[in-house]
Amino acid sequence: MTDERRIGVYICHCGGNISDYVDVKRVVEAVQGEPGVIVARDTIFACADASQQEMEEDIVKHHLDGLVVASCSPKLHTLTFRGVARRAGINPYQYTQVNIREQDSWTHTDNPAGATHKAISLVKSGIARTRLTEPLEPLVVETTQRALVIGAGIAGLRAAIGLADVGLEVFLVERERELGGWVGRFGAIYPHGRNGRDLIASLVDEVRKRSSITVFTNAELMAKSGSFGNYVAAIRINTDLPELIHVEVGSIIVATGFDSYQPEAGEYGYGIDGVVTLPEFKALVDGANGSLTYHGRPVRTIAYIYCVGSRQPGANEYCSRYCCAATTHAALEVAALDGQVHQYHLYRDIRTYGKYELMYTESRKRGSVYMKFPEDAPPEVSRDAAGRLTVTTRDLLTEGQELAIPTDLVVLVTGMVPRKNEELMSLLKVPVGTDGFFNEIHPKLRPVETVVDGVLIAGACQGPKNSAESVASGLAAVTQSAAILKKGVAELDPLVATVDADACTWCDKCIGACPYSAIEQVEVGGRQVATISPATCKGCGGCVPVCPEDAIDLRGYTDAQIRAAIDSMLEEPVA
Amino acid sequence: MSMDYDVLVVGSGIGGMESALKLGDMGYKVLVVEKEASVGGRMILLSKVFPTLDCASCISTPKMAATIHHPNLTVLTYSEVQGIRRDAAGRFHAKVRQKARYVDEVACTGCQQCETACTVAVPDQFNADLVARRAAYIAFPQAVPKKAVIDRQGSSPCTFACPAGIEAHGYVSLIRSGEYEKAHRLVLDATPLVGTLGRACYAPCEADCTRGSLEGTLPIRRLKRFISDRHAETGADLGIDVAEPNGRRVAVVGSGPAGLTAAWQLARKGYAVRILEAAPEPGGFLRLAIPSYRLPTEVVERDIDNVRALGVEIVTNTPVRDLAALKAEGYDAVLVATGTPRSTDLGVPGEDRLGVLGGPEFLRKVKLGQPVDVAGRRVVVVGGGNVAMDAARVALRLGAASVTVAYRRGRFEMPAHHVEADDAEKEGVRFSFQVAPKEVEGDASGAVSGLRCLRMVLGEPDASGRRRPEPIPGSEFVLPCEVIIGAIGMTPDTAAFASQVGVERRGTLRADPKTLQTDVPYIFAAGDVVNGATDITRAVGEGRRAAHMIDRWLTAGTMDGFDLRLPVVDKAQVLARQQQYTLRPPTPEGVTLSAAPLDFSEVEAPLSEQEAHEAAGRCMDCGVCSGCHECVNVCPVDGCIDLNARDRESEVEVGAVVVSTGYKLFAADLKPQYGFGKYRNVITGMQMDRLLAPTRPFNTILRPGDGKVPERIAYVMCTGSRDETVDNPLCSKFCCMYSIKQNQLIMGALPLADVTVHYMDIRAAGKRYDEFYEQSKSMGANYIKGRVAKITEKEDGNLVLRYEDIESGGQLVEAEYDLVVLAVGVQPNRDAARLFVGEELAEDPYYYVAEPDEDLNPGLTSIPGVFVAGAASGAKDIVDSILHAGAAAAQAAAHLERTQAKAKVPA
Repeated sequence: MTDERRIGVYICHCGGNISDYVDVKRVVEAVQGEPGVIVARDTIFACADASQQEMEEDIVKHHLDGLVVASCSPKLHTLTFRGVARRAGINPYQYTQVNIREQDSWTHTDNPAGATHKAISLVKSGIARTRLTEPLEPLVVETTQRALVIGAGIAGLRAAIGLADVGLEVFLVERERELGGWVGRFGAIYPHGRNGRDLIASLVDEVRKRSSITVFTNAELMAKSGSFGNYVAAIRINTDLPELIHVEVGSIIVATGFDSYQPEAGEYGYGIDGVVTLPEFKALVDGANGSLTYHGRPVRTIAYIYCVGSRQPGANEYCSRYCCAATTHAALEVAALDGQVHQYHLYRDIRTYGKYELMYTESRKRGSVYMKFPEDAPPEVSRDAAGRLTVTTRDLLTEGQELAIPTDLVVLVTGMVPRKNEELMSLLKVPVGTDGFFNEIHPKLRPVETVVDGVLIAGACQGPKNSAESVASGLAAVTQSAAILKKGVAELDPLVATVDADACTWCDKCIGACPYSAIEQVEVGGRQVATISPATCKGCGGCVPVCPEDAIDLRGYTDAQIRAAIDSMLEEPVA
Repeated sequence: MSMDYDVLVVGSGIGGMESALKLGDMGYKVLVVEKEASVGGRMILLSKVFPTLDCASCISTPKMAATIHHPNLTVLTYSEVQGIRRDAAGRFHAKVRQKARYVDEVACTGCQQCETACTVAVPDQFNADLVARRAAYIAFPQAVPKKAVIDRQGSSPCTFACPAGIEAHGYVSLIRSGEYEKAHRLVLDATPLVGTLGRACYAPCEADCTRGSLEGTLPIRRLKRFISDRHAETGADLGIDVAEPNGRRVAVVGSGPAGLTAAWQLARKGYAVRILEAAPEPGGFLRLAIPSYRLPTEVVERDIDNVRALGVEIVTNTPVRDLAALKAEGYDAVLVATGTPRSTDLGVPGEDRLGVLGGPEFLRKVKLGQPVDVAGRRVVVVGGGNVAMDAARVALRLGAASVTVAYRRGRFEMPAHHVEADDAEKEGVRFSFQVAPKEVEGDASGAVSGLRCLRMVLGEPDASGRRRPEPIPGSEFVLPCEVIIGAIGMTPDTAAFASQVGVERRGTLRADPKTLQTDVPYIFAAGDVVNGATDITRAVGEGRRAAHMIDRWLTAGTMDGFDLRLPVVDKAQVLARQQQYTLRPPTPEGVTLSAAPLDFSEVEAPLSEQEAHEAAGRCMDCGVCSGCHECVNVCPVDGCIDLNARDRESEVEVGAVVVSTGYKLFAADLKPQYGFGKYRNVITGMQMDRLLAPTRPFNTILRPGDGKVPERIAYVMCTGSRDETVDNPLCSKFCCMYSIKQNQLIMGALPLADVTVHYMDIRAAGKRYDEFYEQSKSMGANYIKGRVAKITEKEDGNLVLRYEDIESGGQLVEAEYDLVVLAVGVQPNRDAARLFVGEELAEDPYYYVAEPDEDLNPGLTSIPGVFVAGAASGAKDIVDSILHAGAAAAQAAAHLERTQAKAKVPA
């Protein structure tokens, strides 16, 4: 039976990424005679358009019915080569990607012979799997032309408007009583000095104008069910009489924002009167009436200590991105209030990237003094016996001088931390990174998408961002929602688990193994058996090994295919 | 033709592709216009990307392929958008110019044979100029579409200057490639007179050579002589394609350069051609006037043999008086190319005395070996043209006691080429300027005894622009002599034709300057018989034109399509392509002159093969494509390459525009203290990315100066950024991160190398960026705060950086490195604003596309319906560009929904 297959095999050089360590020509020779292999070639860049076209020509010319490309991680190019297969008339699921780069050439740079040997094994195993592939059809689901936005900060509000403007209905859910999040509490913000409250007011106004946006305040997402394109969200509205409503949506944009880093008591003197965080200081500046005062006393000197809660080894190791620019902007505001205020900035690197550099330059022109402190000897804040607030630091810009700066106010330039929201995280099942922020699929190319299809992340919940950047990412999430919803239908991978009802004895072990709640108990012919919702199943395979009756199989990764792949790998003697 | 799309996306970098793909996914019809030959922008050229160290190619190529395969996207590469105008209804009309690729995009298989065969190499912009690419090229290995382009920026000045229409740049580049026979064939494509032109041409090409503004022109003419001589030595076949006989006959009257060239071209097209020549030998002036020391007779004969080799029959001693009779004999067309055989009379008394000769007559007698009596006599040559110089120098060689050229204006006004006059003088010819003949004086026997002359003064410029000579009253004097050669002009001998075709007052034939057709449709006229005395190249050019037009006329086509030259390139732009040029001394002159020469051997030495090779190597490839036709010859697909293709323009109407024109990199030579362009081991960050990329040019990291693998590598951050001295106070955002990425890749590739970064602030602001920076430090990269003041180069190519080490007490330090990488930042691409007509696309104070409502509406510009995506609005890294492009797509979609009644959602 296997001899009847007609498989094309392509081994990629990946420029030199693979061929510098793997003898690609040898791999081609070694797999040429494998049963079912009709064409075996090497290619400099399998993913290049011209190579794709060559494959398509081969497929047509040699009537191939299976395709194997040995190149990089399936994460990168599975869809690329499924596309090749589809365009040339092969069922896309009769394609197998073999990873000889991340799992071979990059890993064994010190052993080219071994890497070549391993590549041969991997490719043979991929061929073995391909011999047993069957054509599969994607699941086509109709999508609901509605979206849910969680969080009505600047990103969420702007996203809601954007969704409405491209013709989608929107449910906007905000936990607080007021819309607007952080920006709604600010006065002038960078880079253009516009008033945060005004910005939010104008967005809220735009939201109100759009009948296709339904706003829920004091509301929380309680549950999410259904699957991509047709989620059902349970929203609890916390009024006097809490109410639970269910809405059907095609996509969910999570825009839950950030928390400001809250220093520990004693951290850089936090707790001492006159030591404030950046948001506290911002409120002070925003509220200043003519001159800057703190507890009724005029502020003549300010010392800013940067990177509080950010870039801390063993703690928050990330940079919070927005704080340098926010602080230079605040310093300019102070200078505008009172040009005589002494402002000392104790920093590590000033990260006023791009055009924000202009604020940094301007603040220096207006008298701000910047001092760089050593990473291993941060400034210390104290109040001396006389009650004077003093910051001591070493300034690397003046030959490392030890300086004591008497000051009226110490501003701890606190960064962003992930918003604490365990319930939401667990019900959305969107993974978070080591920094605690939501993780995107690909930080470069797919920054608003998550591994959960149709659940998108926007604004600072994905990572620190300023307000303009949050708005841009909110709109990017709009674009992504529209791109998947406006077609009206979505295709889902058919690589899902299936239950052989005859073999199933309903022991319920599989239910416990499914992280996606895709398995239900049903009655078939008077017997209780498990059934798996193909739209909900993510094809993780967790249920397959726990079934004592071997009644579950995973399409595209059947036991037979995996066994054949392993057997084939073992046939190859270890060099 | 106007075509409608919902959105026009200008630029297909990562931002443009993202906007276009997402709009396409939403169901909008999108036109993407990219000026380069491939989509992908800069990202595809990078090594890996921060902070994930993903291979840039690997994550770009799927996007690129998706872009051209998307059912809702139409992609035009190698195309430019011009003049976008918004109409009253808010829709946009744009002109799209599809630049000629000279390669049929559908037929091209991407086989790259044209690239291999191409004889021109220019800096490869896709490798940051580290290496060269060909004029025929595929942008880079992963190009989408993978189709060749031929880079023809215009006619090279040499080629454009050639009246004969010879691909001068083409044969020079073939000689440079050692393809002498192919070079010879390329000249043969224009004319059979390769050897002749290699010696006797006045080389207008050399006068226009761009290298002339550096150390001196290429010896283009002598290179032609080289390939001709070489061809003669090897005895190779001509290798010229000749069409099957087409059954038509053409008579060519006259066998000078115009007639020979026309006959050659007609014969190649399959015509049966007969040349009718009045003189006893064929060749016209080539054979019967130009002296052998300039053009040996055997060379002319060799060239004429080329014509005969194609079956052209040359009949001598056959003057033609009746053109109509030829028609009656069965010729389908007649070409008159009889030149200007007659001397203009001096028009002074005594002209009939013994010893007065016409210049052409004198030269002809000498060439035919007929006796002329000049030995031991004093000779006066009247006139200042090339014939006068030839006559004077021939007279010297025949043993004249003295030779004096009398010319009525000054030396500067002489029509002879200055080199001819100089050479004549060096050989002993004397000059008497501002004298005009008044009377030939003679002795009793009737023989010449002297020439009575008047001295002249130069007055106001006349119609020719030269100052008009006016006689000085009472200035008469006598030049004693026994021989007077009158060389003041030449005229056609066309009296016999006057009854059949139109003849102008000065004896020239009347012919349409474009078609060369006379009043009688089947009679064509070309060369000096139409124009009066000119030179060989013009005659050759006319002969080519005549052959072309006769063929067009006979095959019933329109009489056009002859001159398909592209406009000439701008020399200033050619010179600006490179920051500097290595000194390439010109080839020494080959002419050796002796005072009072007595033989007719050639005065100019041939170029040796080495000289020819070196000389051709000096060519600057001004038009980039040299027109050598090697690509056409090797392309396996017939008709795929067409060097006569032209740009095409079309109009499109769209509902919205997304501007994603990206950024420019800072030109590092604008910081001269860093020596970029001068010190070869100072490179830019983009060059380092190319050195590290999977498609890297050298397969390892090496320094360009000497190929050494560097051990100590320094980075100079903020090159051209945060720097008021170059008018850029902005931070470029991504240079810190790409440098850190490169630091890690270098440390991976060269474990023993030391990497030191001289920085102002490390701006690792972004998700996982600071962690990436810390990782780099822990891998051993050294980060020193302080700006680099100056770089100097040592003799061994190493570089000494002078900088302030701020963190170690601020002392000035000098440190030596093998390789220095300048972390260049971004500059605005002002092409964006130039896209629009009728209203202005506002720029911010730093010339990026302005976003008037960046806080709430990123992507919106000053023009409703125009959106900006990516770095066109300011420095952005890839993540920021993707987000921004996504925002621009949402804005464009919202605009379309608002303005377009029906949403275009596919079923």
